[in-house]
Amino acid sequence: MGKTILCACEDVTLSDVRRAFAEGHRDLESVKRYTGFGTGPCQGKSCLNAVVQEMIRLGATAAEIAPFTPRPPVQPVTFGSLAALDPEALPVDHGVPVPALPAPPCPGPSGPLPERADVVIVGGGILGLSLAHQLTLRGVREVVVLERSYLNAGASGRNGGGVRAQWSTPTMVRLGLRSLKLFGSFAGDTGVNGWFRRGGYLFLAPDGSQVKRLERNQAIQREQGMRTRILSPGEACAVVPQLDGSRFVAASWNPDDGVVFPWPFLWGYADAARSRGATVRTFTPVTGLDVQGGLVRAVETASGRIRCDTVVNAAGAWSPGVARLAGVNLPNRPTRHEILVSGPMKPWLGPLVSALGTGLYFSQSQRGEIVGGMGDPDEPAGISHGSTLRFLARFSRALVGYVPLTAGLPVMRQWAGSYDVTPDNNPILGAAGPANFLQLNGFVGHGFMMAPAVTEAMAEWMTGREKDEIFDRFTLDRFASGGGVGEDFIIG
Amino acid sequence: MPRLRDSRFATDCTVTFDGHAVPARSGESVASALLAAERLVVSRSSKYHRPRGPFCLSGSCGSCLVRVDGEPNRRACRTPCRDGMTVESQNAWPDASHDLLGVIDPLTPHGLDVHHMFTSPLTVNRALVTFTRRLAGFGRMPDRPAPAGPPVTPECFDALVLGAGPAGLAAAEVLAAEGKRVLLVDRDLLPGGRLRTGLEPGAAPPSWPAGVLRAVTAAGGEFALGTTATGIWRDGGSPVCLLVSDDPPRTRLVRAARIVACTGGHARPPTFEGNDLPGIHSGRALALALAEHGVLPGRHVAVLGAGPEAAALSARFAAAGLDATQVRGAVTLARGRSRVRSLLLADGTSIPCDVVAQGEPPAPGPDLLRALGVGVDWDPDIEAFAPRVAPDGTTSVPGLLAAGEVARPVSAAEAVAWGRRAGEAARG
Repeated sequence: MGKTILCACEDVTLSDVRRAFAEGHRDLESVKRYTGFGTGPCQGKSCLNAVVQEMIRLGATAAEIAPFTPRPPVQPVTFGSLAALDPEALPVDHGVPVPALPAPPCPGPSGPLPERADVVIVGGGILGLSLAHQLTLRGVREVVVLERSYLNAGASGRNGGGVRAQWSTPTMVRLGLRSLKLFGSFAGDTGVNGWFRRGGYLFLAPDGSQVKRLERNQAIQREQGMRTRILSPGEACAVVPQLDGSRFVAASWNPDDGVVFPWPFLWGYADAARSRGATVRTFTPVTGLDVQGGLVRAVETASGRIRCDTVVNAAGAWSPGVARLAGVNLPNRPTRHEILVSGPMKPWLGPLVSALGTGLYFSQSQRGEIVGGMGDPDEPAGISHGSTLRFLARFSRALVGYVPLTAGLPVMRQWAGSYDVTPDNNPILGAAGPANFLQLNGFVGHGFMMAPAVTEAMAEWMTGREKDEIFDRFTLDRFASGGGVGEDFIIG
Repeated sequence: MPRLRDSRFATDCTVTFDGHAVPARSGESVASALLAAERLVVSRSSKYHRPRGPFCLSGSCGSCLVRVDGEPNRRACRTPCRDGMTVESQNAWPDASHDLLGVIDPLTPHGLDVHHMFTSPLTVNRALVTFTRRLAGFGRMPDRPAPAGPPVTPECFDALVLGAGPAGLAAAEVLAAEGKRVLLVDRDLLPGGRLRTGLEPGAAPPSWPAGVLRAVTAAGGEFALGTTATGIWRDGGSPVCLLVSDDPPRTRLVRAARIVACTGGHARPPTFEGNDLPGIHSGRALALALAEHGVLPGRHVAVLGAGPEAAALSARFAAAGLDATQVRGAVTLARGRSRVRSLLLADGTSIPCDVVAQGEPPAPGPDLLRALGVGVDWDPDIEAFAPRVAPDGTTSVPGLLAAGEVARPVSAAEAVAWGRRAGEAARG
């Protein structure tokens, strides 16, 4: 039996589409992510209609074939061409409004929601799904995860996949190290490949003050057994020969940090949790929380109401909205973060590189694309997923400055996600408002990399075992009492 | 030789492909020159290392990526030949025709389940990650930094017309006649789009495209050929289009009160087993290569499709002396190793051929329109998503209009009429 190739860029076959659909990836956004069709150099121009024809044959509904969000540019354009633009001539803008989380009513073969659960987790990102995985591992049977859109629709499916332990406080270093270990064992634990690769993280310091910051962090990291080293520009260029060594004065290097391909982590944790009895339901927004006597008694959705003992708010940038349903005000401010990928290149870049002071970071994915982003200090708060030319111009100027050889690489696709930003750049954990309403949000762009360790600790605590200090330290009340040390090592 | 023996089609330059000299015509695409030299395989595919070569020849698919003068992942179909140009195949060893990793394809008849393979034990999984990373990617890093283009000053026009095919030319003509300052853009080096194939000779007089360019210039506007509209954004609250040309390198940032998108459709790859074999191409693109550069794609052409375009293609190839067969029935299989050798039909008939021309019209190409928020609907009649464009060319986005095959399959004459209506709607 030979192959019928529906997507020639990524070698996606007719059988791949059929398999994805049969495994429950029924909507077009999910089929795209699971098979990879439309993510190559043609960006779906040749293959989209053929895939949809097949999905219709397989029984997809009109809502399920809603076409995936358009991603600029329309034709590949090189970093060099974009670097010719003056970003300052392009003021901050929301871009073309895109539905932040499309939620088509997907009447898939999902059956009714359970009437009761031990734990309902709001948000099917990596935090919610990994928590479900960890809870079911500890014998909690009745766990329900409610995701308002498809898996990977939120920040967990939009981030650059960097995972590191180079942090600035002992707590974050400890969590980062534990997460790295769990990322390493993910494939074996769940049977799904996450393409975790320890290529290291290289932080470039442009001046003496940033070097001091790196040296301070290095001391904390080495105390916990990390191999972090401060490198001279020459040593850093030995790690990444394409770097322009005149652009920085020193670098911090931990060879044990790494990158992952984010999407499979959601599939893997969801599959693992489901196999132990959890329910993971997509396209199911939470419409209400029934609070009585200081407890959330039930979670309401358009497809039914679930009575429950505990509710976890793991809705990322949408967490303040979920908390309001229980009368709780969270200080989180969602902030857009834009990101892009280049065309696929043969491997040349080992680590994730981050240029301190600029917000620029970039790495090379398993498929060979340069994946990178760059925070914009002028970005206003608010959920906005539009893509801008300003970002392309800023990123390209910075990237071509640090790695001149990238000028000839084409940008293939750009998109945006939301950082879930708190006043001190640390998460919000534990009960807030009703005693059984637990927060698991406010991770400011590093929720993905922290998820395995934090959810493991949270499941321990929720099942009556050890309580990690983070659940005392990162409570909502810290903002009222003015306590807590801020995290200053946020990228982007 | 697969180029017509005719002084009009004489080659005047040489490019090299993997070290082999390939005679070419200045200005024709690298893909066209490679087809004429019967070098159909330019790379191996990303996962199974199947032979890959130009399909659409019009910048829609990603099947002809090559390395050009040290720059990776360039579309052979979008790169005009220049004497001495060095073209190299990608993702193959030792070369695209004899790639050792080609064994992956026959060894995986049911494909690879990349999500679930070799997940444990840990050492095997780590080896998988290391090994697949080596195989992954496509082009090698450039040899040297690309030359920087001049700094960009934003420009403004009354109207920006994207695409100088029948619809775009008609729209630009109307706007220029009104005295509007128009920027007319086409990624090809010549105006006319599908008119240049000669498949629909009655649609417009041959001198019309050049006349429209003159009219645009006379009204104070400008035309930019060899220029790609790489995208439209909304930075600053109004649409802004990024135009890029390669020779010489230039980036332009253009705003216009009206944007008329007439960028045409996307060639549709067929969907039978073996559908990605080299030798299977967009019929319209083959007709264009034949008309302008005398490129004969093969000797035995099977033309897919039952409509007027397939019939016109068959007639055109027959007139050029090829053995052309129009295939109206359902195809189940294309046979061949590195080039198509025959088609098997559902009724059991086998059609020997060395080239297959897709004669179904292109699907709509709504990408630029979608980038600004125009909606699309699935149209079961054409089995494709079509953007919501009114008969007068207007869309839900103020100031953004469209006409022609960018919106739905139409004849060239209908595209002219639609473009004219869009031009009229864009005047106000």
